[in-house]
Amino acid sequence: MSVGDFEHKNQQRWAEYERLVDGLEKGRPGPEAGQLPRRFRELCVDLSLAEYRMYGERLTAQLNAQVIRGYELIYRNRRGGWEQVAEFVAVGFPQAVRREWRLFCLCNAVFWLPFLAVMISAGHDIQWVQAILGADGMASMDQMYGGKEDQIAHLRAEYGSNFMMFGHYIRNNVGIDFRIFAGGMAAGVGTLFFLFFNGLFMGAAAGYVNHACNPETFWTFVSGHAALELLGMVVAGMAGMRLGLALLRPGRLPRVRALSEAAKQALPLIIGAALLTTLAAAVEGFWSAQLLPSALKYGVGFAGWGLLLAYFTLAGRRAGHAP
Amino acid sequence: MLTAAKLDTLQAVELAEGVEIRLRVAGPMLRIGAYAIDLAIRGVVMTAASIGLAWSGMALGNRVAFGMLTLAGFLMEWFYPMVFEAGRRGATPGKRIVGLRVVQVTGSPLTLGQSLVRNLLRWVDGMPLFTYGFGMASCLATKRFQRLGDLAAGTVVIYERAPVLPRLAAPPPIAAVPLPVGLTADETRALVLFRERAGLWSVGRREEIANQASALSGASGAAGVSRLMAMAHWVQEKKHPADHDRKN
Repeated sequence: MSVGDFEHKNQQRWAEYERLVDGLEKGRPGPEAGQLPRRFRELCVDLSLAEYRMYGERLTAQLNAQVIRGYELIYRNRRGGWEQVAEFVAVGFPQAVRREWRLFCLCNAVFWLPFLAVMISAGHDIQWVQAILGADGMASMDQMYGGKEDQIAHLRAEYGSNFMMFGHYIRNNVGIDFRIFAGGMAAGVGTLFFLFFNGLFMGAAAGYVNHACNPETFWTFVSGHAALELLGMVVAGMAGMRLGLALLRPGRLPRVRALSEAAKQALPLIIGAALLTTLAAAVEGFWSAQLLPSALKYGVGFAGWGLLLAYFTLAGRRAGHAP
Repeated sequence: MLTAAKLDTLQAVELAEGVEIRLRVAGPMLRIGAYAIDLAIRGVVMTAASIGLAWSGMALGNRVAFGMLTLAGFLMEWFYPMVFEAGRRGATPGKRIVGLRVVQVTGSPLTLGQSLVRNLLRWVDGMPLFTYGFGMASCLATKRFQRLGDLAAGTVVIYERAPVLPRLAAPPPIAAVPLPVGLTADETRALVLFRERAGLWSVGRREEIANQASALSGASGAAGVSRLMAMAHWVQEKKHPADHDRKN
C-alpha cells in the first residue's frame, strides 16, 4: 500500500478523531467523547504502521502530533479536591515528617545548636553576638524591643499595619523556606548553610535582647508564632536535605533518577513547610503584637509547641500508609 | 530511532499502547524568549496591581493596600509559572506564545507536584545572581535540555505542535528500483529521508550527499541521485500483503 493509498483510506477516520480531540481540548465534549480511547488506539496502530513502512516524515509527524494530543487528554490527571487537601493535612504531612525522622533530628540540630550556643554565649561574652548582628542589627533590635512592653503594639497602632506585616512575613518567610529547599540541590550544602545561618542569627537576636533590651517584649512577641515558623523552617530543611542526600548517596539508582525520586518524597514536606510558615505569618501578623497579658501569650506559645509536636508524632497514625 | 536519538532533538518515548511517540525537545534560546515574555507580563500585572491598589488604598487604608501588594509580589514571584504549568495547557503565557509546553519525560501532562518542584528549584537555576547560569549549564549538559528543576521534577519542555513541513517538490522518481541488498531499519529510514528532503537542497548538494552512498546505488553524480530516489520510491510504495487482511 502506498502512502497515498494509506492516507486516502484512513483520512476520514483521522478527521473524525481530530474533531473529537478538538472538542475535548476546548472543554466541549460531544456525544461521541466516549469513543476517544478506541479511536486513540486505532491511531496508535496507524502511527506504528506508518513508522514501520516508512511512509515518510510528513505523515509520521502529523500522526505523531495527533497521538500526543490524544495521549495528553487520556492521561490528564484529575485535579484534587478539598478532600485531598484535608487528607494531606490530617495524614499525609505528619506521616511524611515521621518517615523522615532522622532528617528531622538532623535539621533541628543544625538549627538549634548554633541558636542555643550563641544565645547562651551572650551571658558570658557579648562580642560574639555583636559580631553577628552588626551595628544595624543591634539598632533595630533596640528600636523594637528596647523599652516598654507595648512597644511593638505601638508600632502596629496605625490601621492596617497588621495586614501589612502579614504580607511581609509571608513573602519573607515562605520565600526563605523555598530557598532552603532549593539549596538542597547543592548537595545539601545550601540547606545546611541557611539553617545554620538562621540559627546563628536568631540566637544572636535572642541573646542580644536578653543582654541589652527588654526580654519580656521580645519573648511575648515571638512566643505565639515561634513553633510554627521555626518548625516550618526545619521541615523545609528536611525537604532540601532529601534532595541533597539523593545527590550524595543515590544508592543503586543513577543520580538523576535518584533526584527525581527524592523530589517526590520531598514534595509533601515542602508543601507542609509552606503551610506552617503561612500560618505562622498569620499568627505573627494578627496575634503576636496584640496587647495582652504576658502569661496568656506564653501559655499560647507553649500550647502551640505542644500541639505541633503532638501533631507530628500522633496525627494520621491510624490511617495506614499515605498513598 | 537510533540516528534520531543521536543527531536530533527528537526524543522517542514508548507508550503503554505499544507505539512510540516522538517529543521535539526545545532548546534554551526559545525558552529564554518565553521567559522574557513572562517577565514582561509579570511586570505589567504588578504595575497594574500597584496602580489599582494605590487607588483602592484610599478606601482600604494604605497599609492594607501595601500588604496586598507584597502578597501579590510573592505570588507572582513563586506561583505564576507553577499555576500556569499545572493547568490544562501545561505552559505559562510566554511559553504558549512561543509555542512551547512542559510535559513529563514520558510525554504525559504535568502533575501539580511536578510543577511545584520544577518552579521552586527555579531559584537554583537562576543562580548565580539571577543570570540563570546554572540552569543554562544544566540545559547544555543534558541530552534533553533539562535545567536542574526539570531534572528533579522529571519534566521536559517541548514544542507544542510539530512544525508543518513544507510539501517540497522533490524530483519525481522515474522508476521503482528494488534494493540490491538488505538494509537495516535505520539505513532504510535514511534513504527515505533523503528522498523527502531532496527538495530542500541544491542539485550540487544532492549529488554530494548521494555520493556518500555510491556503494549502494552503484553510481555517482546525477545518476546516483536518481537511483537512490528510485530505491526510496520502491521502499515506500511496495505492497504490504498484510494490508488486505486488516479491516478498519
